[in-house]
Amino acid sequence: MKKEGLKAKDFITVGIFTALLLVVEFACGMLGFIHPYIVASYVVMIPLVGSIPMMLFYTKIEKFGMLTTMSVLIAIFMFITGMGYLGAPLIIAAGVLADLIAKSGKYKNFKKIALSHGVFCLWICANYFPVIVTADSYRKDLLDGGYSAEYCDNLFRAINGKTIAVLLILCFVFGIIGAFVGKAVVKKHFEKAGIV
Amino acid sequence: MTDPIIKIENIKYRYKGSETDSLDDVSLAVNAGETLLLCGASGSGKTSVIRLINGLIPHYYNGEFTGNVTVAERNIAETELCDLAGTVGTVFQNPRSQFFSVDTDGEIVFGPENVGLPPSEIRKRKAQVVSEMGIEKLLDRSLFELSGGEKQRIACASVAALLPEIILLDEPSSNLDWAAMENLREIILTWKKQGKTVIVSEHRLWYLTGIIDRAVFMKKGRIEGAWSGEEFAKIPETELQEMALRPTSADCEYAKLFRDDGPDTDEGEKVSLGEDAIILRDFYFSYKKKPYVFRKHKFKKEDGEDLSLCIPKLTLPRGKVIAVVGRNGTGKSTFLRCLCGLEKDCTGTIESDGVTYKGRKRIGFSYMVMQDVNHQLFTDSVEAEVLLSMKVKDSQKCLEILRRLGLLGYKNTHPMALSGGQKQRVAIASAIAAGAELLLFDEPTSGLDYSHMVKVGKMLRELADGGSTVLVSTHDPELINLCCDTELVIRRGRASLRAFGDEKNGKE
Amino acid sequence: MRLDPRTKLFMVFVVSAIVMMSATTPLLWAVRIAVTMVPIILLITEKHYASAFRFLVLYGIALALLFGLLSEGSTGIVAALLLGYCCIIVQFLPAIITAWYVVRTTKIGEFVSAMQRMHVPDGITISLAVVMRFFPTIKEEYASIRDAMKMRGVMLGGGNAAKMIEFRMIPLLFSCVNIGDELSAAAITRGLGGKVKRTSATDLKMKAADWLMAVAFTAAAAVFVVFKYVL
Repeated sequence: MKKEGLKAKDFITVGIFTALLLVVEFACGMLGFIHPYIVASYVVMIPLVGSIPMMLFYTKIEKFGMLTTMSVLIAIFMFITGMGYLGAPLIIAAGVLADLIAKSGKYKNFKKIALSHGVFCLWICANYFPVIVTADSYRKDLLDGGYSAEYCDNLFRAINGKTIAVLLILCFVFGIIGAFVGKAVVKKHFEKAGIV
Repeated sequence: MTDPIIKIENIKYRYKGSETDSLDDVSLAVNAGETLLLCGASGSGKTSVIRLINGLIPHYYNGEFTGNVTVAERNIAETELCDLAGTVGTVFQNPRSQFFSVDTDGEIVFGPENVGLPPSEIRKRKAQVVSEMGIEKLLDRSLFELSGGEKQRIACASVAALLPEIILLDEPSSNLDWAAMENLREIILTWKKQGKTVIVSEHRLWYLTGIIDRAVFMKKGRIEGAWSGEEFAKIPETELQEMALRPTSADCEYAKLFRDDGPDTDEGEKVSLGEDAIILRDFYFSYKKKPYVFRKHKFKKEDGEDLSLCIPKLTLPRGKVIAVVGRNGTGKSTFLRCLCGLEKDCTGTIESDGVTYKGRKRIGFSYMVMQDVNHQLFTDSVEAEVLLSMKVKDSQKCLEILRRLGLLGYKNTHPMALSGGQKQRVAIASAIAAGAELLLFDEPTSGLDYSHMVKVGKMLRELADGGSTVLVSTHDPELINLCCDTELVIRRGRASLRAFGDEKNGKE
Repeated sequence: MRLDPRTKLFMVFVVSAIVMMSATTPLLWAVRIAVTMVPIILLITEKHYASAFRFLVLYGIALALLFGLLSEGSTGIVAALLLGYCCIIVQFLPAIITAWYVVRTTKIGEFVSAMQRMHVPDGITISLAVVMRFFPTIKEEYASIRDAMKMRGVMLGGGNAAKMIEFRMIPLLFSCVNIGDELSAAAITRGLGGKVKRTSATDLKMKAADWLMAVAFTAAAAVFVVFKYVL
């Protein structure tokens, strides 16, 4: 392999897998309309389901920058689709860090890859940022409207400034679990079929 | 004469992970302005030669490489791919995968944008290729709503916009119907007139007769023969078949059938069907959705001209291979989709053996082997794939089906690791396992060489002899000659069965 | 009226900021509603009547319910849930409408051209264009896979959630990887990835309407910031 920056082919690969990951996110997002609690369960669903394309993606990474590019793309998409840009620093930081971790294992060491995927999954929490920021004002509106504090706390119990730490940890943990799930699927199908 | 524009000298090439050489001591020289045909069976190395000239070998595909390729005085091994873009252009096989943009305009200007031409020049070139190819009507459209033929024209325009001296076409007709192939012929003629060097790798040969200057025949990675265009056209069909090549001329009879819209022939039913038949009733369908308020509109015969499919009654002979023919966009795939119950709004019924299948029941009765068979393989082994279709898992029966289709040796292999033909058979195996009696094939032989087509033909024949009724939609007259008993002609959504067997026998 | 993609991106930027801040005074509510109406009107001018109508109705109902419920002071569980929904809709719908407007009315070429003007590296714009191109591809492939699943009767994966995902995901990934390989080859032979800076055939020009829109949205953002955090 030539020691150079990313080639056109790499950028195309990044584009394809970003599209797949975003489709997974949108599909899970549809479920979020049913009840806000489901929105909180993104931290479980997206790492697990998304791990299948992600682990296939990891097999195609050879150079630094692909994961970083992916995180930038996700940030851009979150912005364009009106999800706000407060999460962008988190997304990109997670992407760069994940890239560095995987690079330290030369993109082949599975322990490093699992850790890297765990870190990368932190981007999912960026979905909650707008809700957290606005939650306080919701609460105030609700209280003004004569609702008891209990109701309001109930409504936002799953997602608020305090639980975000828990959500981040969950993302990380399920990211690592997802890495194992994804790897098993890659082995079952793609390695057996000789694609990887 | 000046030096040849393309010089391939003693190339040996082996893809990474492959055990045999894909190219074995290949040497070829092509003069500027020549139109060359590369023919040969699948896997004979045609595509590899194309990849040598456009530099994808050795720059994109990894492998072992010895020898020398010079294109327009440049040594390919030492030239970056992007520097070749203005010299060599390539039209690929699959219209679905080779475009980069979402809209047609963006696709035409994609190449010039990549090489950093100034915007005014790009627009000038766009206008030029658009008028050359007559694709004004296709501008400002989404590529995803175009037909395969239209996509391939845009691909040609996109390549031409870079004004390359050399244009390569890698099995460009694989997904095209007859009208689109004739269109492709026109495009190649235009390039030929402009003095470009054109190299076509192809299985379907008839549309190239009369425009090629030279034909090169490849076998197992070697060049085994070369003819001038006129000589090549005179090679008798039997000799072509020995080389696993398809005919160089098209039967006029079929040309009419595949191209013409002709009058609606509603009478049909001249074929003697015997008593044993499958009767289709009330197959109506339209993609134009009628607005509805409370109850969904059911399609009826009275909808007349709005219907893209209108079959009040149709009798299909059981245990036969029936060719479904007609131009693209006249309702062939709609017919197949409705028949196997994929279009919920189509309320047609299927009667067989005194049982009437309606709605979702049709799904169990008929099964379609899709054009892209990759979409219908889900599991991690051939055996699991067949078992998945069985309501009651019966591994004995499963092995029996695999044996019948010659897949027994592959029962633990991942379906995606198989060749295209084997994948098709896995899909058929799962259809049989599901108990389907009506087997539908959507263009199973597009993009196959002659010998593979013969194999598919034999397999369809065997399926019919085994009691299944086989409907096969196709653009290949060769396939129809090989194995079909009757023809179902679809024109503007109206179907008629043709007394095809008698006519053919009469002619011979 | 066709706006420059850069203006559209700026609109998303402003609206995304405004939806983070809740309106507390009538003036702020007025600004918020005005900012929401702009993309709806723009959708109408671009002939996306159906979606404009749908957004208008949804926003209107949510807004009416919100005010109605808040002023009535009803405290039932249903009302609380409903209020929660309405809050979310009223809060975030403006951003979604704006995003919808931008995505529906901007060609990929325009996006790419705008990115180039803003000096985004070629690698990012290439990847972004691929993402855009792959959404419809995934849709197409997924539709075929669903058809295949229907024919096989495995839509529900035999009641097994993991199988349901596996049967959809695996063929989809195989297809996408294949298409990606062919796409890369086809793109590279047309000069993608060269050392020259890419150009764009799309000419972008900020017109009067663009400046007007930019100023209006800046003003809206300023009003929010000033009234909420300064005064």
